[in-house]
Amino acid sequence: MSLAYLFIGIFTGSLHAMVPITLTATGETVGESAGLFNIGLEGIILLSAMTGALGAEAWGAFMGLVTGLATGFAMGLIFGLINTYFKGVQLITGVGINLAAIGMVAFWLIHLGVPGHHAVPKESQLVNISTAIGNISPMILVTIALPVIVWILLFRTKLGLKIRAVGENPQAADVAGINVHLLRLFSTAAGASLAGLAGAYISVAWMGSVTKEISAGRGFIALATVVFSGLNPLLVLLGGFIFGFFENLAVWISTMPAVQSVVPWQLISMAPYIVTLLIVAGVIGRVRFPAAMGTPYMRE
Amino acid sequence: MSNDTGPDDTRVILQGEGICKGFPGVWEHLILDHINIDVRVGEIHTLLGENGAGKTVIANCLSGFYSLTEGQIYVKGQPVYLKSPKDGLSHRIGMVHQELALVKPFTVAENIAIGLSGYNFSFPLREVENRVRELSKRYNMHIDPTARIEDLSAGEQQRAEIIKVLYHDPEILILDEPTSLISVDAQHLFEVLHNMAKMGYGILFITHKIEEALEMGDRVTVLRLGKLMGTRKSSETDKDELVRLMFGEHEPAQLKRKTVRSERIVFEVQNLEAAGMDEEPALCGVSFSIREGEIFGIAGVSGNGQSELAEVVTGLRHASGGRVLIEGKDFTNSSPQKIIKAGIAHIPEMRREVGVIEAMTVAENVILKDVRIPPFSKRSFLNIPYITNHTEKIVASFGAIVSDLWKTPTRILSGGNIQRLILGRETWRRPRFIVAAYPTQGLDAKAIEHTWELFMELRETGTSFLLISEDLDEIMALGDRIAVMSQGNIIKVLDGVDAKREEIGMLITTGH
Repeated sequence: MSLAYLFIGIFTGSLHAMVPITLTATGETVGESAGLFNIGLEGIILLSAMTGALGAEAWGAFMGLVTGLATGFAMGLIFGLINTYFKGVQLITGVGINLAAIGMVAFWLIHLGVPGHHAVPKESQLVNISTAIGNISPMILVTIALPVIVWILLFRTKLGLKIRAVGENPQAADVAGINVHLLRLFSTAAGASLAGLAGAYISVAWMGSVTKEISAGRGFIALATVVFSGLNPLLVLLGGFIFGFFENLAVWISTMPAVQSVVPWQLISMAPYIVTLLIVAGVIGRVRFPAAMGTPYMRE
Repeated sequence: MSNDTGPDDTRVILQGEGICKGFPGVWEHLILDHINIDVRVGEIHTLLGENGAGKTVIANCLSGFYSLTEGQIYVKGQPVYLKSPKDGLSHRIGMVHQELALVKPFTVAENIAIGLSGYNFSFPLREVENRVRELSKRYNMHIDPTARIEDLSAGEQQRAEIIKVLYHDPEILILDEPTSLISVDAQHLFEVLHNMAKMGYGILFITHKIEEALEMGDRVTVLRLGKLMGTRKSSETDKDELVRLMFGEHEPAQLKRKTVRSERIVFEVQNLEAAGMDEEPALCGVSFSIREGEIFGIAGVSGNGQSELAEVVTGLRHASGGRVLIEGKDFTNSSPQKIIKAGIAHIPEMRREVGVIEAMTVAENVILKDVRIPPFSKRSFLNIPYITNHTEKIVASFGAIVSDLWKTPTRILSGGNIQRLILGRETWRRPRFIVAAYPTQGLDAKAIEHTWELFMELRETGTSFLLISEDLDEIMALGDRIAVMSQGNIIKVLDGVDAKREEIGMLITTGH
């Protein structure tokens, strides 16, 4: 294999791996800008992988993606309602979503036949576009476009100003006439729907299967990416690519026979998560979060 | 707006009639008790009162932030029903809040933009910036619309807030204590407001400073404890009358008092310096001494260093200079535990946050400070029967009503009951010295009387008090000596028996 092929291979592999992380992180950027910190992204990705796969089998690949999106939206609504109007604790709600999703997906898999694994039939998977550099999923193009769109939304529209105001100083936003709870609810639901799309992508367009751990911690990596980006969607694109690169690299290295005899593959697959830890540790002190993130808003 | 308006113009632009406001959970008294107030075209009307008089509440009612429990608001003679600040703005009433409602990382223009109606996907920053520059010029209030709020000085931030309100083109402007944040820029603000009055605005200006009220206002209205005390033309009244209206005339309860017998100094503070909440100096060289069996009262509007003084003396705040001496020994910057062991009891200002642990039960809170001492505990185990007995006695002596001492979380008690719990806990041992910060806040008249009698009784047995209070009745009834604090300094110490109410009131509001 020539070196060019190698690099192209790594590049396209990274692009594919980037999709779920970037999508989820872009959505979470909107939610966190409004002040809601959703640690349940992992659960949403997992659940949507399941529902997306089922949707694809029933109605085709595209509808599978839409099903995933809708699942994310629904979970986001639940999360949002609890943490705005019902003044809940965001951390607990997120953890609850994660646990519920793990249970639901595992249970579902048993019902579908082979416990722990479900293969999405080829016809139901999203067709890749054939390009000069190999087969590219159309979702990659969506994934590149979305952060740009979200950036424009957050920083170049009045709606974006309002969203960020609600995350920074909900009292001031309230005085200015903004419906704080409604806007937070909408922002977090919209953000979570992207996580749902990410989940559906994994099962319908990328791995082609659903397992109990198909999300593989990507929800948490997405959270780390949001930190890394300082709530700037354009940096989310970069961050997503970096993490996707390491994830892809780890998989690829661990399949090389030269490496396999020396280093156990488990160690290599740790690499992306360790890289995540290091990057976040280096960045976390310097990143500024919205002042009112994580706390429910109560009007006096 | 006509051009020839003046203070004699009798066209009323904003009127509140019979306004009442009660807050759920506070049923001891109405926050606002049948207030009648009106603002005329071209006038600056100042609303004067102590802290807690209800000034901010009435302003919030008139601008739509609060709903009315009773009463009616009229704008230009028409009755209006305000359900939100947006309603207020639609009736051309704009309010500048005391706590600035600004998003700090945003620019001035962005802060204005979030309050504008219109298409959500628009981005009207350019227009907003231009209009802000226009308004800056018209009202002679220079502000850079592209500046971020967090980069601006306090005075500029306030200007930004005012421009934000002016952007919506109000005819009536309500300003809540606008000079509490800015001292240097105050003159400039006054000029701007006078100009605006000439242009035909009706301005309601809220303050607790008498001189300001007289200087700014064409008319002055005084509120006291939610009640309307009177409205006067500023040309027809003077400081003394306003003090009388603000603080009342009645004689405080006469408590039997023997003069302080001992000359022995048990507590002393020398040149105390400390920083406050935001690194600003809060205590600037406070000195005083307290004798055995003496109640030393500190009067003054809160926010002049009283809280910090109480905290430094009880070990909760670091003193950057000076000394605290208890019975001659240096306890400056000692830990609270050592200070408690030295015999100092503390009735704190923030009863819920500092005085008790709200999540813990009543019994647990009563023994909070004594828990290590036998017979409350024996070899690391709590002596439940003894504690229960003790708590019952304390709760009963104060007439507090608690259902289950070991199950009721203190959080659900009313403020008054929590205060009674704290009073019981701190005084049952008859301590040598009590630091009492606003000790009767939230108590009804009977409980206040009971507390005063308790304090006097303790005083007879030799307990000394550092009493901090905004209630002038309390200070005058209890204080053997009365000090007035302003801006981190004690400006004067008066003898408790001879001090005149007006004199203290004058010191408090004018600083001299």
